Amino acid sequence: MSFLQLESLTCRYGDFYAVRDLDLTVEQGEFVSLLGPSGCGKTTTLQMIGGFIEPSAGTVRIGGADMRRVPANRRGIGIVFQSYALFPHMRVAQNVAFGLEMRKVPRAERAERVRRALAMVHLEHAADRYPRQLSGGQQQRVALARALVIEPRVLLLDEPMSNLDAKLREEMQLELRRLQRSLRVTTIMVTHDQTEAMALSDRIALMRAGRIVQVDTPQAAYDRPADWFASSFLGKSNSFRARCVPGGLLTASGVRIAAPAGAPESGEVLCALRPERLRITPPEQGMLRATVQSRIFLGSHWLLQTEGEAGELLVYLQNATAAAPQEGDAIGLAWEPRSLVLLPPDEAPAHG
Amino acid sequence: MAEAAIAARPAARRTTVMPYWLCAPALALYGLLLAAPLAMIFVLSFNGFSDTKGILPTYSLANYVSVLTDPYYQRIYLRTLRIALITTAICTLIGTPEAWILSRLDPRWRGVSLLVVLGPLLISVVVRTLGWTILFAREGLLNQALLGLGLAERPVDLLYTETGIVVALVHVLVPFMVIAVWTALRLVDPAGEAAALSLGASKAKVFRRVVLPQALPGVLSGSLIVFSLAASAFATPALIGGRRLKVAATSIYDNFLFTLDWPTGAAIAVILVACVMAIVLLWSRVLERRDAVRA
Repeated sequence: MSFLQLESLTCRYGDFYAVRDLDLTVEQGEFVSLLGPSGCGKTTTLQMIGGFIEPSAGTVRIGGADMRRVPANRRGIGIVFQSYALFPHMRVAQNVAFGLEMRKVPRAERAERVRRALAMVHLEHAADRYPRQLSGGQQQRVALARALVIEPRVLLLDEPMSNLDAKLREEMQLELRRLQRSLRVTTIMVTHDQTEAMALSDRIALMRAGRIVQVDTPQAAYDRPADWFASSFLGKSNSFRARCVPGGLLTASGVRIAAPAGAPESGEVLCALRPERLRITPPEQGMLRATVQSRIFLGSHWLLQTEGEAGELLVYLQNATAAAPQEGDAIGLAWEPRSLVLLPPDEAPAHG
Repeated sequence: MAEAAIAARPAARRTTVMPYWLCAPALALYGLLLAAPLAMIFVLSFNGFSDTKGILPTYSLANYVSVLTDPYYQRIYLRTLRIALITTAICTLIGTPEAWILSRLDPRWRGVSLLVVLGPLLISVVVRTLGWTILFAREGLLNQALLGLGLAERPVDLLYTETGIVVALVHVLVPFMVIAVWTALRLVDPAGEAAALSLGASKAKVFRRVVLPQALPGVLSGSLIVFSLAASAFATPALIGGRRLKVAATSIYDNFLFTLDWPTGAAIAVILVACVMAIVLLWSRVLERRDAVRA
């Protein structure tokens, strides 16, 4: 049986559903991210797991036990808050010791466990400082140590990196992943940062408007998005409408292109295509013709904005070949047919 | 970095002079309206006095000696301090949780509740205290209720008692406590309480170990305000204590207006100010030492 189970979890405020009929199962030691735009209900879900919000309906089970009547202080859950929520009037060691003190762990054992927890996040030297004397990254690590020292059954992370600058964030991601793997603590992270979710998670639960759109491994979610929202929220994506015909696809402008395996023989679809899957060819050799509208140099690659037979398409071009096409150049675009993802056409944006 | 430092230099010079100019009007007003009368009272407290000739142009410590050695005034000072300390303690006990609850209320209710808490400040102290005298009187509402419910055998005397003064002062001064604590709590991250809960603390532990220590600067500064206001309160002790139960402020009033012994009144006032200031300074020293340890 799964370790953490959310069964048709619902949180309602009047007519507004913050979370609606959410089902999710998480295995022991797994790292799952709740990913979605702000207001999608991911934080509300986290707070229902933590016991800070009473679900309007549905169940949270940890280790098989129903958490309905279990208050937040008896759930044995470690939480790292977005603001870190360190106790400013306590020293770092006292902050970390707080949970152990509440559990009435004997003094000597407490000191030893605090020392180990601080060593784990490389902050042994800061034990006697106050939180405000630490940098944001250090405070973050204290918060992590404080949550982990109680050996929680579940670790909840609420946008843990959002207050860190980009470089520090990358370091913390590696650190967090290392810790989570070595302690094998079941972890749920809320984030709106798709790169963070992909870098850290075993699985991503993509949320929108209080519901889960897709639960998958990062790669599966990226390569096989369930719908246009999933496709556009995880990474960059191009889209264009097409009609299925036997043995291929017909774009809106009437160009015939190859269909991926298993494509239907009729009906409207929305084609999603990742910018890095597109190849640039001479105009007459491509599957579609296009013109380069603008190009941006991003170091490891170029981002080309092209306009052509399938509307606007973004292309990532490796900065490996000698020359990127100039603005205004006529080019051809090609891709492997299996790179094309066919999605239901209903929720397409106004334009790709 | 270097450019920023160069650009900041002229601005830095300007800001060293500007604050003084900006403070000048307020300082002048303060000096004129507060420092000058205080200084005059201070000088007056050394003047001699005779019942027939009034204020004498002689200077001595006689007024201080007679006030400080007179058991009558000693009782008044002790009573004043006792009332101020008890009032401060009760205001702290009521005001601190009240401010916490207020700060954790739903924003919709918070505004209304804050208005209810601060509402009494909109009504004159005299009117509010007169309200208390109606409640406290021997045939007042409180006694009627107590007798009617059989909770008391005889009418309870609250009017002209220290208890009565404390009750009325608490009512008048609790809003100051609430405001001070509320201000301190506004700086406290509510997620800290959630964090403490998740770490296994009970609600009571959360309040004692997490909320209270962070609210403490507000509690201490609030108690400072309440104490100094209670020690120098005039209207409430005058109306509830009446002529029988005097505190420092009311006896100063009597000396100035009835016996016309201004120098003695001034001496009582200076002693009161000195006592309150000594306690306040001691208190803020404790506060500052606490901050110094934490910094």
